[in-house]
Amino acid sequence: MQVYKALFKIIHKNLPQITIYIFSFLVVAVIMSNVGSNPANADFSETRVNIAFFSYDDSALSDGLESSLSNITNMIDIPDDREKLQDALFFREVEYIVRVPKGFAEDLMKGKDVKIEKIAVPGSVSEVYLDNVINKYINTAKMYISNMKGLSDKQLTDFVMKDLEQKAEVKLIRKVEEVSKSQKVGYHFNYMAYSLFAVLILGVSTVMLVFNKKDLRNRNLCSPITPKSMNTQLILGNLSYAVLAWLIMIMPSLFMFGSFMFTAKGMFFLINSLVFSLSALCISFLISILVKGPGAISAAANVISLGSSFISGVLVPQELLGSTVLRIGSFTPTYWYVKSNNIIAGMTELTLRNITPVLYNMLIVFGFAVASIAVALVVTKQKRTA
Amino acid sequence: MFLHIYMYRLKCILRDKQNVFWTLMFPIILATLFYLAFSNLSNAESFTEIEVGIVDNEELREHPEFTEAVKSVPDLFNVTYTTKENAEKLLEDGEIEGYIHFDDGLKLFVKESGINETIIKSFLDDFLQTSSTISTIISQNPAAVQNGLPDSVFDRTDYLKAVPSGKAEPNTVVNYFYSLIAMACLYGSFSGLKEVLAMQGNLSYQGARVNMAPIHKAKIIIASMSAAVSFQLIAVTALLVYLIAVLRVDFGNQVGYIALTSIVSTITGVTFGTFISSVNRQSEGVKIGILIGSSMIMTFLSGMMYDKMKYIVHTKVPVLSYLNPANLITDSFYALYYFDTHARFFTNIALLCGYSVLFGTLTYLAVRRQRYASI
Repeated sequence: MQVYKALFKIIHKNLPQITIYIFSFLVVAVIMSNVGSNPANADFSETRVNIAFFSYDDSALSDGLESSLSNITNMIDIPDDREKLQDALFFREVEYIVRVPKGFAEDLMKGKDVKIEKIAVPGSVSEVYLDNVINKYINTAKMYISNMKGLSDKQLTDFVMKDLEQKAEVKLIRKVEEVSKSQKVGYHFNYMAYSLFAVLILGVSTVMLVFNKKDLRNRNLCSPITPKSMNTQLILGNLSYAVLAWLIMIMPSLFMFGSFMFTAKGMFFLINSLVFSLSALCISFLISILVKGPGAISAAANVISLGSSFISGVLVPQELLGSTVLRIGSFTPTYWYVKSNNIIAGMTELTLRNITPVLYNMLIVFGFAVASIAVALVVTKQKRTA
Repeated sequence: MFLHIYMYRLKCILRDKQNVFWTLMFPIILATLFYLAFSNLSNAESFTEIEVGIVDNEELREHPEFTEAVKSVPDLFNVTYTTKENAEKLLEDGEIEGYIHFDDGLKLFVKESGINETIIKSFLDDFLQTSSTISTIISQNPAAVQNGLPDSVFDRTDYLKAVPSGKAEPNTVVNYFYSLIAMACLYGSFSGLKEVLAMQGNLSYQGARVNMAPIHKAKIIIASMSAAVSFQLIAVTALLVYLIAVLRVDFGNQVGYIALTSIVSTITGVTFGTFISSVNRQSEGVKIGILIGSSMIMTFLSGMMYDKMKYIVHTKVPVLSYLNPANLITDSFYALYYFDTHARFFTNIALLCGYSVLFGTLTYLAVRRQRYASI
């Protein structure tokens, strides 16, 4: 088993570069598992938009608007400074800024034409939502003003606030908790595609580049080891490397999600990622034949792993990608792998009908493996005879 | 002599394929990927009509004012009237965001908590609240009905006046591209590193030979750095042209200021590289590692991986945002795009110039008058 051993010696020598990817994956995995871990409620909860509210009007009506908005939004405390507000809106620290002018309530009651200033992200959902809420509040007040004469500021606000207590009943039709947990596992496994791909390309290419060196190859060919045995050992070596890389990559999921990984859903995540590793291994093998020197390896590893991740929904979720991008993405195994993960994550119950698309996707991912091996064989044959 | 060194250094840089890939090609590839991945991001935020189901039953028909209310907001919802069973199915398949069912009162059924669901709920709240308003008014002032109260319910006045936030739309995606340019500028540090390697006697044979030549060190430094800056400027210009002409990223229209930013940022990047590689005695690999690591951290803090990071640093640790060249570069482009004043832009440019001078001087101090007893 000299060849097998030599393969792991080469990998050992290049470990620092490979560990960078594993390490960065661990860091991101841990961060992501803590981010957005707000416990999902079994009840419906309103989405709270971040807003900034400034009132220069000293009236019960304006105070009422502030308190009714504070019930349904997160009020962010920032000073009314132009540049600070611009920054905050650009980076969505706040999505909506309200400025109530001086004398607003008084002018409204006198029937004058009054306006509240708003700064929002044009055309955004939060703009539509809060426009409706604020207009509703003022229109209600206006209705009282025009139909009941002689109302004081305080009485008016009391009437409006009493009306606003009316709330519709909302029912959630599924168990959110379970889905949100598996969604998190799904993100974790999606992100794994990036690191796993990079680690495999780096490792396999580095090794194969050494074995394919002309002089070294010639020397190996006249050694007393048969080409058949050498190739078998190389294949075994690469396979073990891929499985090892996969095992290391799934470790954190076992620690972070514990018993979930041993449920049927967890198992599907694991199998799916194993199939993906094998496919990535075969593609890495093809790349190792095509690259010219060690310098090109890190370039190829970066561009391919990063590129496929970007267009397949690893770094930006698939539902946020355009349809053209997704179509390009579907030419990579990463796309189908991520698609399966998303299906598994979104399943409320595991049935044959639900899981069939996942199995088909796995077949496609496996197809990529077969295809790249076939191409690799053709290329090597041509190189040998050329 | 100056031109001679300059030309040959430029040739050396151009022939280093790896360097050309990472400084010229990689940012362009990354820009393409950003473009593919983020082009739909702002659409996700913008409002489209919400798909809503309404269960068509006896109780709904008893409340014609509700159907009336739904009709009064045609831009908000795309309504499907259907049976309860079908509504359930549509909801499960994700065809609608929720369905409204009059079943002993107004009820909303949804699959998850989200902003669209919240809007539907707020519409139902609105309906109930308006009914409450009407009944309060009628109980206090029965004459209101004769004055046409129920009819005036749905014609609403818009009391909001939109004020634009800045010169351009607050489109978060542009920041990713701006920080990408910052990365490209900082990658000029690799060329800077190569220049130092080629002129330091203890780092390369070529450097040892150059040290023997009767030429002033400052002249070599300036010629080499100019070569590196020239190449990097070509790379950054190529990236900018690609971003503006091909990907149509919005930069505003102040071409002169954009060019100024690119030149200053490139010089900062190159001098950063010469500075890092001249002040420590580690091997080339370690120096490259330091440059990659520091430029990654700096671009991360300026929002290349997560756009809000820039804001978090700016508000929580303001000092850091002024110390970080990548953030200054990103912020210069951002200020040109978004702000109507130039105060912030010029602060950034001044600081970048300051850093370039500082890094350049430190490099010169580190490499001048070095004597080697034995190499």
